[in-house]
Amino acid sequence: MRAMLDELGVTQIAERVRAGELLAETVAGETLARIAALDPGLHAFLHVARDAALEQARELDRRRSRGDVLGPLAGVPVAIKDAICTRAMPTTAGSRILAGYVPPYDATVIGRLRAADAVIVGKTNMDEFAMGSSTENSAFGPAMNPWDRTRTPGGSSGGSAAAVAARMTACSLGSDTGGSIRQPAALTGTVGIKPTYGRVSRFGLIAFASSLDQIGPFATDVRGAARVLSVIAGHDPRDSTSLAVTTGDFEAACGRSVRGLRIGVPDEYFTEGLDAEVSASVRAAIHDLEAEGCTVSPVTLPHTRFALATYYVLATAEASSNLARFDGVRYGLRVDSASASGHDRTGASDLRGMYGATRDAGFGAEVKRRILLGTFVLSAGYYDAYYLKAQKVRTLVRQDFDRAFGQVDVICSPTSPTTAFRLGEKVDDPLSMYLNDVYTLPASLAGIPAMSLPCAPSRAGLPVGLHVMARPFEEETMLAVAAAWEARSPARGLRPPLSGSS
Amino acid sequence: MTRPKIDREVVLHVAKLASLSLSEGEVERFAAELGKIVAHVEQLDELDTRDVPATAHVQLQGTHLREDAVQPCLSRDEALSQAPRVEADGFAVPTFVE
Repeated sequence: MRAMLDELGVTQIAERVRAGELLAETVAGETLARIAALDPGLHAFLHVARDAALEQARELDRRRSRGDVLGPLAGVPVAIKDAICTRAMPTTAGSRILAGYVPPYDATVIGRLRAADAVIVGKTNMDEFAMGSSTENSAFGPAMNPWDRTRTPGGSSGGSAAAVAARMTACSLGSDTGGSIRQPAALTGTVGIKPTYGRVSRFGLIAFASSLDQIGPFATDVRGAARVLSVIAGHDPRDSTSLAVTTGDFEAACGRSVRGLRIGVPDEYFTEGLDAEVSASVRAAIHDLEAEGCTVSPVTLPHTRFALATYYVLATAEASSNLARFDGVRYGLRVDSASASGHDRTGASDLRGMYGATRDAGFGAEVKRRILLGTFVLSAGYYDAYYLKAQKVRTLVRQDFDRAFGQVDVICSPTSPTTAFRLGEKVDDPLSMYLNDVYTLPASLAGIPAMSLPCAPSRAGLPVGLHVMARPFEEETMLAVAAAWEARSPARGLRPPLSGSS
Repeated sequence: MTRPKIDREVVLHVAKLASLSLSEGEVERFAAELGKIVAHVEQLDELDTRDVPATAHVQLQGTHLREDAVQPCLSRDEALSQAPRVEADGFAVPTFVE
């Protein structure tokens, strides 16, 4: 009997479609049916591209029947975070200011997915402009966690994580600025990778903080995430930060022995604020990796506790500049100043009034809060004290990793200090929300690759993420450790209650 | 150095720099919230960074500039297709004198 589609991972779907055992149209049809059945209760999607997905799938089947050899993601349905531009498909970045925006071009990663014969099925929910850790800052309402619908799937790529956790798609794309792929992967029991800064082109990604943003995959398993990463990685002349390095064989790395690899465990990641069950689950995973032949030793990353403050200065400064483009002129919402209400202090001219009224109406509270903070730290008189200071501390955070990676090959820690929290629990307390990202921010500041994958769930049955960090460019070492752990993880095969349609 | 208190005047000044028109309620709310966040940021003062170079960007490699060659780009119609207002084959903005 044929396995149910939602039990197949990325590589299994692609191999079956390539071999002609499964039609791409069947895969797309079943995926769309599953989305129609499950998404009303999860709100992982902001847009489902039903007709385009079916048409793309039929075209793949036609090409295969003509004798074409299909690509490495043949017929694999992919859900795309709504911050990534898709031609002829709405792209909002979770913001009212871009409601109805339909980009006239594809992001580089979308072109690469299409060239690999993946099927784009829709756009996923997210915190507005990727600013948040719960999707509650989406202008279109939050996404829900398939393991418990009263809880958040994390954020900002919460929709992409929820779509994969509920097996609506076997993989998706997200973006990670301070943890926005890894934290939702941890909270939903999926695999999520933030590649080395520059590994994946950001051309067509709506920018949040350009010195930190990186696109990466979610998948139901490590090998599937590795395959998607190998498709989207590679130099792109349209992104000047894109690295000119060869893309390794990420999938082969998943079968590599980890015997003799040195794992570092930073004390600074097991301190106050870390949930006891999360700590125990992650420590058990690290202990089990020792049984695989890894050696485990403590490392110290002494500037970890300064990463949060550093990140919030740098990311908001960059965001305040990047989001200046949303001004009601070239795309998106426009509100004329005559209709503006309240405190208009943005200037005398109609033009400035239009900017202010458009941005007040179009941006949500968290985006305004971050634009204000970012503008403040860059403003005359405060630049040295805040922005330059944070750039210097960023150097110290990087140096911590340089030193640690002189002694060990990978660093393992919890991804998030807690399991999925309840929707509404932290929404009124920005600092407590930001603390979700304490373990993911340092790797973002240092530009190193990092990923999250499931370890033993909590007693309440909620997922826990193991965070694996590696040296710049060393995704292969990271993936080898992740795959070795996945093979023995007690989370293997566990699925959220909502996803069981069979 | 002495740190500024984030009050409504600071918020209004920064909002003007950022082209944000805020309601009275937002001004009060952001003054309180930003004050807390800035107080948290000030823990960076514990670190002596006089001799530490700044990292603006991780720069794992140099910046790769592409060839300065003519490439196809969006047509005018495509570029204008998402504009809220178009006049005379261009983006329309309100009248302004500065």
